[in-house]
Amino acid sequence: MSEQIAFWMLSAIAVLGALVAVRKRNLIHGVFALMIFFAALSVLFLLLLAEFIAAVQILVYIGAVGILLLFAIMLTERVTGDDDRRMTSRGWFWGFAVAAAVFVILLLPVIQQLPSPEAAQTIDPSVKELGHKLMNPYVVTLEVLALLLTAALIGAVTAAQGVRMPKEEDSQE
Amino acid sequence: MSLDLIRDILIATVPLLVIFPTLFAFTTWLERKALARIQNRVGPDKVGVPLTRYGGRFSLFGLGQPLADGIKMLFKENIVPRGADRLFHLLAPILALIPAMLVLCFLPLEFPWTKSLLPVQAFLLDSAVIFFFAITGLNTLAVFMAGWASRNKYSLLGGMRAVAQMVSYEIPLVLSAVVVVMMVGSLNAAEIANAQAGWDWFVFTPWGLAAFVIFFIAALAETNRSPFDLPEAESEIIAGYFTEYSGFKFALFFLGEYIAIFAISGLAVTLFLGGGSGPGVAMNLVDQGLATERWVTVSAFPGLAVIWFLVKIFAIIAVMIWLRGTLPRLRVDQLMGFAWKFLLPLSILNIIVAGFAWHAQQQASGTVKAIIWVVCLLILYATAKGLDQLNRPNVRPREYKYAE
Repeated sequence: MSEQIAFWMLSAIAVLGALVAVRKRNLIHGVFALMIFFAALSVLFLLLLAEFIAAVQILVYIGAVGILLLFAIMLTERVTGDDDRRMTSRGWFWGFAVAAAVFVILLLPVIQQLPSPEAAQTIDPSVKELGHKLMNPYVVTLEVLALLLTAALIGAVTAAQGVRMPKEEDSQE
Repeated sequence: MSLDLIRDILIATVPLLVIFPTLFAFTTWLERKALARIQNRVGPDKVGVPLTRYGGRFSLFGLGQPLADGIKMLFKENIVPRGADRLFHLLAPILALIPAMLVLCFLPLEFPWTKSLLPVQAFLLDSAVIFFFAITGLNTLAVFMAGWASRNKYSLLGGMRAVAQMVSYEIPLVLSAVVVVMMVGSLNAAEIANAQAGWDWFVFTPWGLAAFVIFFIAALAETNRSPFDLPEAESEIIAGYFTEYSGFKFALFFLGEYIAIFAISGLAVTLFLGGGSGPGVAMNLVDQGLATERWVTVSAFPGLAVIWFLVKIFAIIAVMIWLRGTLPRLRVDQLMGFAWKFLLPLSILNIIVAGFAWHAQQQASGTVKAIIWVVCLLILYATAKGLDQLNRPNVRPREYKYAE
C-alpha cells in the first residue's frame, strides 16, 4: 500500500518536473525542473529495488548531464537569465506526432503481453550479480564501450585544442 | 505503512539529525579557537553558560559561542537583492543541506539503539559508496543555484568556480575510492569497514596510503575547504556565492558545508581508517563464524564503535583546520592543473598498482609480500615525484629589458 502511494507521488512529481522543464521560458529554471524529474525517476528505480540504476541515474543524469547543461547555458550568450522572447513553436503538430509514435512503439511490447507475466520475482537486481555479469560474460562489451568513451574524450580534447598555427617563434625554440 | 516502521525510521534518522548538527556547533567553536591560536589570537572566550547569571563568569573557553551565533543568525534581517531570483535564492541553502544530511545515513555508524532496526539494514545498501558519491555531487548544483540566483557578478563567479572545481576533483576522489572497493570486492560501506577489522586499515598499505592522500586532498577541494576555498574567496570575490546571503540562509549554507565535511570525513574513515574499529571493539565476527549478519561488532561497552568513528572524523577535521590556518589559497590555474595533471594520473596508476599487487599477493609468503609492498611504495613515490617534476612551472630568473 505504502509503495503504491510512493509510486503515485513520485510519478506525479516526475510528470510535473518534466512539464515544467518543457514549459519554462527561463532555461536555468528548466534545467532544474529537469533535474527534479531525474531525481524522481531515480527514486522510482529505488522503489523497484534497482539500487544500482538509481545511483547511476543520479550520478550520470543529475551529476554529469545536468552540470553539462548548465555549463552550456552559461557559456552561450543571449540565453542566460530571464528571456521573455517567445520561443518559436512552429511544426508542433509534427513534433507531437513523432513523440506519440515513439511512445507507442516503445510501449507496444508491453501492451501486447498485457496481463503482464509475473516474472519479476525471479530477477535479482543486486549489485554483486551485476558486477559479476559485467566482469564475466560482458567484459568485451564493457571494454569496447570504455575504448569508445576514451576515443570520444581524446576527440573532445583535440577539438578543444583547435588548430595550432605554426609560428616563427615556436619553431626557433 | 505500519506504525512500527515509522517508529523505526524515526529511531534510525533522528539521532543523525541531532548528533551531527550538535557536532557542527562544536566544530565551529573548535575551528575558530584553533585558527585563533595559530594566528596568535585568543578566539571566542567570552560567552559562557547561556541564560544563567554565570554567563560571563564561567565562560568555559567560550563554548557558548555557537549558541549565541545561532541566535544572532536567527534574528538577522533576511536580505534578498532586488534582481535576484527569489525562489532559487530561497531554495539554494536548503538544497545545499539536503544531500549533506542524506549521505550521513550511508555511513556505517553502529549506534547501540539501531542494532536490529529494519531501516538501518536497508541503508547498508550494496552500492552505498556509489550512492554516497552520487548524492554528494548534488552539492555542486546548490552552489551554482546560489551563485546564479543572487544576480551578482561575484556570486556567479564563485558559483562557476565551484562547479569547475567540484567536477574536476570528483574524479580523483572516486578513483581513489575505487582502490579500496577493488581490494574488498564490495561497494557496501559496512563490509568495507568490516574488512579492516583490527589494525588492517587500508592506510597502512602502500596503495591505501596513496589513495588516502589523494582522497583527502580531493575531499578538501570537494568541500571548498582551504586551500581550495576559491569559490568563497573573501579577498578576491567577496565570499563568492555567499555574497548575497545573510541571516539564517547563510547559517544553513554554513551548516550544510560542515555536514558535508563530516560526511566526507566519515567516508574517508570508512574507506581507509577502519570504520569503527579500535581498541575495545571486536569486528569481523562473520568470518570467524561468530555472527551471521554482515555488520556485527562486539565492543567493551555499547556505542564504543561509534565513538571511535567520531574520534577519527575529528582527527581528520583537526588536520583540515590546521591546513586552513597554515596554507595560502591556490590560484585557479594551479587548482585545475593539480587535479588533472597530478592527482588524476597518480590515482589511475594507483589502481593499476593495487590490481597487480592484489594478484601477486594471493599466495605469497610474508617476505614476498613485504617485497611487493616496498616495490609498490617505490613505484608510487617515484610517480608522484616524476609528476611533480613534470608539472613544475618553467620559471627562469627575471630578465630586465629596460631597467638595470
